Amino acid sequence: MERLNKRMEVKAVTKTFFGKKGYFTAIEDVSLDVYDGEFLVILGPGRCGKTVLLNILSGLEEQTGGSIIYNGTEWKGLNPEIGMVFQKLALMPFKTVIENVELGLKFGGMEKEERRKIARYHIELVGLKGFEDYYPKQLSGGMQQRVGIARAYATDPKLLIMDEPFGKLDAQTRYQMQEDLLKIWEKEKRTVIFVTNNIEEACYLGDRIILLSDCPARVKEVYEVDLPRPRDMVSERFLRLRTVISDNTDLSI
Amino acid sequence: MEQMNGKQKAIRNVLYWGLPVAAVALIAVGWIAFSSAHPELMPSPATVWSRFIKTFTKPIAKTTLLGHAWASLKRVLLALLVAWAFGISFGILIGWNKNARAFFGSIFEVIRPIPPIAWIPIIIMWFGIGEFPKILLVFIGTFVPLVINTSAGIEMVDKINIQVGQIFGGNDRQILQDIVIPTALPSIFAGIRTSVSSGWTTVLAAEMLGANAGLGSLVTRGWQGSDLSLVMVSVIAIAVIGALLSVLLQKLEKVVCPWND
Amino acid sequence: MNEKQELEVKLQSWHQDQKKENRRYVLLSAAGILTVLLIWQAAVMMGMVNEKVLPAPTSILQTLLYKLGNKAPDGNVLSVNILASLQVALSGFLAAIVIGVPLGLVMGWWTYADRFIRPIFELVRPVPPIAWIPLVVVWMGVGLKAKALIIFFTAFVPCVINSYTGIKLTSKTLIDVSRTFGAPNYEIFWKVGVPSALPMVFAGIRVALGNSWSTLVAAEMLAASAGLGYMIQIGRTVARPDIVIVGMVVIGAIGAVLSLILSRAEGYFLRWKVNR
Repeated sequence: MERLNKRMEVKAVTKTFFGKKGYFTAIEDVSLDVYDGEFLVILGPGRCGKTVLLNILSGLEEQTGGSIIYNGTEWKGLNPEIGMVFQKLALMPFKTVIENVELGLKFGGMEKEERRKIARYHIELVGLKGFEDYYPKQLSGGMQQRVGIARAYATDPKLLIMDEPFGKLDAQTRYQMQEDLLKIWEKEKRTVIFVTNNIEEACYLGDRIILLSDCPARVKEVYEVDLPRPRDMVSERFLRLRTVISDNTDLSI
Repeated sequence: MEQMNGKQKAIRNVLYWGLPVAAVALIAVGWIAFSSAHPELMPSPATVWSRFIKTFTKPIAKTTLLGHAWASLKRVLLALLVAWAFGISFGILIGWNKNARAFFGSIFEVIRPIPPIAWIPIIIMWFGIGEFPKILLVFIGTFVPLVINTSAGIEMVDKINIQVGQIFGGNDRQILQDIVIPTALPSIFAGIRTSVSSGWTTVLAAEMLGANAGLGSLVTRGWQGSDLSLVMVSVIAIAVIGALLSVLLQKLEKVVCPWND
Repeated sequence: MNEKQELEVKLQSWHQDQKKENRRYVLLSAAGILTVLLIWQAAVMMGMVNEKVLPAPTSILQTLLYKLGNKAPDGNVLSVNILASLQVALSGFLAAIVIGVPLGLVMGWWTYADRFIRPIFELVRPVPPIAWIPLVVVWMGVGLKAKALIIFFTAFVPCVINSYTGIKLTSKTLIDVSRTFGAPNYEIFWKVGVPSALPMVFAGIRVALGNSWSTLVAAEMLAASAGLGYMIQIGRTVARPDIVIVGMVVIGAIGAVLSLILSRAEGYFLRWKVNR
């Protein structure tokens, strides 16, 4: 695969939290590169670090050490070119599906008619046509997460960060969502950082997999996944990769 | 066995529907018995009913029962409109801005534990017993629950909702307007509900302590004139209107917050 | 080792920052209250407000100190008024808890109890407690019992409603598990239903306390011979705004203290609830 442009470089990022009882290091010396157009999976078995790392990448939180280089220049604070799909969904319960999806466009000051059109396109893209005027509560968990994906896509981000988006779904729905996510990604190519604690999911989705250690999170290993897509989860190569990663993973949970 | 089941079911049915009827009957019988034993302590239902009819044919202080009810309602509604505007904005301010919370919140915390009814004497000393002091009193009684509920609702908004707003490029005003306030709306509505019942109680107290019109003034008038039937009529009217108001608000909440079940 | 020391230093400075931040909030809060008091005092001293209408904070403080040891104008020193009020409020409040909470719990658990008590309760509930005052006074005079009964009405309703709702919200799973283990219904009620209703019960008790204290004032203003509400009422009759405001301040302060005590008690009884 050609990798000409580095979309983002993470250089020796450390995050330490201070509190009444002392300090706690969640991320230590994490360095990684994100290439344009790739599907990068960050696989973290542990309880700590992953969401914090993503929040630092997106600018929601500030690191205590190291730096983030975005598109060649050092970046601090929120980055408008980054979209995010949240672990806890965080859909607005008082907004309908279409109102949720158009949120970013509305904040950007786009006229109602235009943003509705874009929102509708993305709702269709994630397979929710006909549900535009539903409230999130009326949808199943998988459908809600689709809304979250459509919302992130609608603002046309250059870099899409997904924080364990399928973590709360049942196994069946999860497989379906993984497949559909890849379809969407192939249709609308974006650079994706996808975080998960599920090894199988990582192997199924990722162009590369960055394996993190347990607390504090460090980069343990980087795997290039050269399996052809669509991947067969019971093929010998898939299972071998899975075993390799699994043997290298810190025990947790 | 089948028959036993049928019998049990029948007994259950009788209990299920019989018990509420028995309860209401108990109240009615108790009332009648008490009033016939001590007519000076409690007028009979029949007396109260005829007193009720009389409020329409023979006006009290130049107006009928409905006129008095309207006088009370008008005071509450006027005060509520002002209190909603100020209380909700103030609650949003101290819920959202930490500095405002420290500066104004402390003043509010000092005033808040004073029951609205305790304001009645000083307000009467300052402004007499006209319309304005009563509306002011109701305002005080409704302002406090509104501020408490609104600010708590704003503060309790999950951090992740605000992060969503930031990620999608919202500025502070947009996040407040499009995310934080709607998220807090059920809480704000709880404040509105409390404010209505608190307002209804406060107006009553204010009227009981000095007024020419209003249901509270009827209570006092009946009390002082040893017209207990009039007291009963007014108390029942107060209760009915209070109950109607709370039903109305429940309906309204479904319209305003349709996503909230 | 070096890294560790560095982190320790950072931690120290973090603590410093936190302290500074806290101090700033305390100062801002004090500034808020002081600003109001200063404007008030200045307005009175410069004659913008008539002392006969709104006395300055300093003269209110004087009156407060004076009332600690003097009976004029209402006939009781402050402490007697406070005790009289507390006695009334607490007896009504406690009676409401003792009767209201079990009643609500039983209603929430046993359908037939609910069917029988509910209609009576729903008929009485919408009557504002203040509206009971004339009837109660006619029935029982203006003694402690009469006033306590009025307070009882006001505290009773939230006790019942919250206990009822609380026990209705008991997790179905917990009940089913207990059933599977063969526990009889009254035991499930006692060991599963009641504990899980407790947080709601406490919320109800908190509302009840607030209601008690604010209705007390009304009860005492309409009919009493001692108490804070009575003192306020006399203050109004003899045109002494300082007495009225002292009464209001004391009522507010005691109300705040009572609710503080209650939330301490709540913290103690609900210490098994981790997420507090």
